[in-house]
Amino acid sequence: MEEALVRATIPQDLEKLLGVESRPHPKAFTDAFLKNSLPQTTRCDVNNLLTHKALILGYSRPKKDKRKSKKPKGLNARQKRAMKVFQLKPEHQRYELFLPLHDLWRQYVIDLCSGLKPTSNPQFVQQKLLKADFHGAIVTVVRSKCPSYVGTTGIIVQEFKHVFKIITREDKLKVIPKRNSVFSVEINGFVSHIYGSKFEQRASERSAKKFKVRGTIDL
Amino acid sequence: MAIQLKDKDAYQRMNYLYQAAHCVLSQNPENVELARFYCFTQKTIARRLVLRQDPSVKRTLCKKCCSLLIPGVTATTRQRRKNSKTRFTVLRCLSCGQSKTLLNDP
Repeated sequence: MEEALVRATIPQDLEKLLGVESRPHPKAFTDAFLKNSLPQTTRCDVNNLLTHKALILGYSRPKKDKRKSKKPKGLNARQKRAMKVFQLKPEHQRYELFLPLHDLWRQYVIDLCSGLKPTSNPQFVQQKLLKADFHGAIVTVVRSKCPSYVGTTGIIVQEFKHVFKIITREDKLKVIPKRNSVFSVEINGFVSHIYGSKFEQRASERSAKKFKVRGTIDL
Repeated sequence: MAIQLKDKDAYQRMNYLYQAAHCVLSQNPENVELARFYCFTQKTIARRLVLRQDPSVKRTLCKKCCSLLIPGVTATTRQRRKNSKTRFTVLRCLSCGQSKTLLNDP
């Protein structure tokens, strides 16, 4: 009834008086008017809702960005090899450069053996030397399975697991395997023999290792 | 006074290696490799026997490449400032580029 009231046409005489014209299709006008003026709510639009098919019900927490640790990563073996971390350059292989090192080593060993008097117990000194460091010692190869090594003398520059690197008086860097050779170390007239076969560890591991009582040594 | 140190030999050895690295570098400042080798040996000894090294020793070794850091020779030192008060000393290894930052704590 009210709808009819809204759409009621203005009577003829009033139309003339007011100077307005009534629209011929009032229904179409009101529909258009309502559509424009009413607030558009998309949520209530059922047709529109049905077209959205994907509905995510789970809630994913926003990921925390992992902070990059500033801790330095050590180099691995391949990088070390590429960088030549421990390889000596040939211009540094001079005998006189290593003489101060030898002096330092001498002090160190004398300090280690608490004076190293001729009266000191050789067993005690040997026990100490077993755990001592040999970088910088003057060493002579006494016996070896390979006769060409015998007699080489020099300062130990580097000690590896299976090998000593020795610099000789002639500025030559010699690589001598520990296995099957006997070295002699001389400190203040005290000569000690090192059996290389028993020494086949890395320089750092030797200080932690317990040595067994000497077994058989073939040479 | 005479406190019996448990690993006196190992400490002596590490001390010797540290000194040897200094000695080698003083002889020839170019010979980084050998000093690095000695420091590496020292570090592995400490790791094997689980020994603590003094911070003053630890701060002169590069964490990445184990080389001995001497300002001007194998490392550069710079002063950095974070706020108006806190300042840092930045030590940068010249061979590998790793830098360590130490707080200036007077």
